[in-house]
Amino acid sequence: MADLSLPQVVTIPNYFSQGLLALPAELADSNDAPSLLTAALNSTLHRERWKYSKTAPVLEGLNNAMNLPTIVGGEQPGIQINHEPQQNLGFGFDLSQAPEAFARLCYAQQVLFIHVENALEAPLEIHHSDSTVPVLLSLGANADAILLETFTGNLQPQNTLWISLAEGSHLKHSRNSLDEAKLHWQYLAVDIGKNADYLLNNHAAGAGLRRQDIQIRISGQGANAELISASMISGKMALDQQVTLEHLVANGKSKQVVHNIVADGGKCTFNGRIHIYEGANGTDATLSNKNLGLGKNATINTKPELEIYTDDVTCAHGATIGQLSDQELFYLTSRGISPQAAQALLSEGFLRQCTQGPLAEAALPILINAIKQEQVA
Amino acid sequence: MSLLEVTNLHATVGAQDQQKAILKGLNISVNLGEVHAIMGPNGSGKSTLANVLSGRPGYTVTDGSMTLADEDLAELEPHERAQLGLFLAFQYPVEIPGVSNMEFLKASVDSLARARGQEQPNTAAFIKQVRLLAASVDLDPQFLKRGVNEGFSGGEKKRNEIMQLLLLEPKLAILDETDSGLDIDALQVVAEGVNRYKNENNGVVLITHYQRLLDYIVPDFVHVLADGKIVQSGDKSLALELEDKGYAWLT
Ligand SMILES: Nc1ncnc2c1ncn2[C@@H]1O[C@H](COP(=O)(O)OP(=O)(O)O)[C@@H](O)[C@H]1O
Ligand SMILES: [Mg+2]
Repeated sequence: MADLSLPQVVTIPNYFSQGLLALPAELADSNDAPSLLTAALNSTLHRERWKYSKTAPVLEGLNNAMNLPTIVGGEQPGIQINHEPQQNLGFGFDLSQAPEAFARLCYAQQVLFIHVENALEAPLEIHHSDSTVPVLLSLGANADAILLETFTGNLQPQNTLWISLAEGSHLKHSRNSLDEAKLHWQYLAVDIGKNADYLLNNHAAGAGLRRQDIQIRISGQGANAELISASMISGKMALDQQVTLEHLVANGKSKQVVHNIVADGGKCTFNGRIHIYEGANGTDATLSNKNLGLGKNATINTKPELEIYTDDVTCAHGATIGQLSDQELFYLTSRGISPQAAQALLSEGFLRQCTQGPLAEAALPILINAIKQEQVA
Repeated sequence: MSLLEVTNLHATVGAQDQQKAILKGLNISVNLGEVHAIMGPNGSGKSTLANVLSGRPGYTVTDGSMTLADEDLAELEPHERAQLGLFLAFQYPVEIPGVSNMEFLKASVDSLARARGQEQPNTAAFIKQVRLLAASVDLDPQFLKRGVNEGFSGGEKKRNEIMQLLLLEPKLAILDETDSGLDIDALQVVAEGVNRYKNENNGVVLITHYQRLLDYIVPDFVHVLADGKIVQSGDKSLALELEDKGYAWLT
């Protein structure tokens, strides 16, 4: 395998040295960022996470032009928006897991730095059109917000979002990625503080390749993370979801339910890693990934990975790949419903189980329509 | 007039290389307006008969014939049998998360109407009708929003089957142990539903394990199924006799 490299030498933005963001641990005692990043890109861990999608095209796009996403609801009281970080609010950067995301942050001429101080009246909306500047969203202690994130674009867009949730805050995040981009890379890192909770309702339709990196850290005791995701990947399209959920401290809770339909010719990868650190006693972590193959040549890779370094945990995980249930099909057809209509109802039902939250209504018809197209073909 | 004619029916279950003969020359004839009870020991083939009549995959008819309203059932897919007027109340109704009861019932009613060249009901009237029917079998209308049978108790699943029977008004209703596992109140609700459905233009095949149900739904005929055949037929007094003596004297 050829060595991976970044398209341009990185320079660490000044706001790091000014203490407005914390450098990744690896860089705290080294100023040779370029060689550390190259080493991270070529590490076994990182190669493994990029095994099912080509890394080079994403790396090449890291320093492409970035525009500002459209923000709706940014004027309401309790929100401050700046184009540079203003204060260190606990964002985490992980060089070993996401060197490319850190590199993109370094290439960006500006960022969107959004701070939510208290409970918002209305949702905060971020609409990305093609490649957008990195977004850093923080919620202050006990703040409460709904974040709606949507995406349009058809080239090789990249969107990166870091979220930091302070003690006792609540964020309900809904994200629709339904446009057919050629190569879409979405990076999301969430750091959840003490007793804070985070919910992500994720809906994706196929793109040439849509790569979703989701890295969630339970870093305060009693924090809670939930990921509910539904995707429909039709012919010649691909989705690669790489989810890491880290429990760094005790009494955290996480739940992931991911349903993907992969139709004839489509390709879908789900890699869900749960990492429970030493001392994270009383952790409760569950992960369920179900995949439904329609047609003959669907490619599905699924791998739940558990790394547990504490005895006192409850951890349940499961991954299934299957077709529609014969029993369910018979029940529906025994009531006069044609086999085609019964299949459509069951496939829709499979996605509907994980299509929730404020963007569900917009996502569902598009996901279902993709199923119908597939069944007509 | 004859509704269901089953003649010398032989059927096997299982994949091609390991077929197991279950029905071994079964005869039954149901006329319009009649209720037939089929009783028999566990494993005698009662559910197999219900499954073969409704076209469940995995069963093969190897000999004999079965017709509903003079149409050969063996030629028809399960949904076509339903469209012809056959209904099976399942012994174990399946749970279908993600597909709401209401959506399922609408799809069913629309499919049946379309197949029969009738007009599909308007949605508001339909929802009202379904809510009333649900209430009439003691099902909380809230259930209609949930997934099909999802999280239902055993009794709720059975009452949901009866609600569908009342909604779809088939020509022939086959009830496979709808009474098992029900307490006496639920049993009465189920029996009341079946009695409400029953009229001179339809027929009922009531598969049951216990005589108890027949106190509430009075059968015109009682048949005993053993080892894949009807071994005894009679009127409702046969059920009482079975209750006393068990099945051993017949097999
Ligand atoms: N799918 C199957 N594969 C193999 N044997 C089966 C299957 N289904 C039923 N059987 C067998 O067929 C026989 C009749 O079963 P069934 O019709 O369910 O009986 P009943 O409803 O009268 O209790 C039983 O011996 C049962 O074990
Ligand atoms: Mg049975």
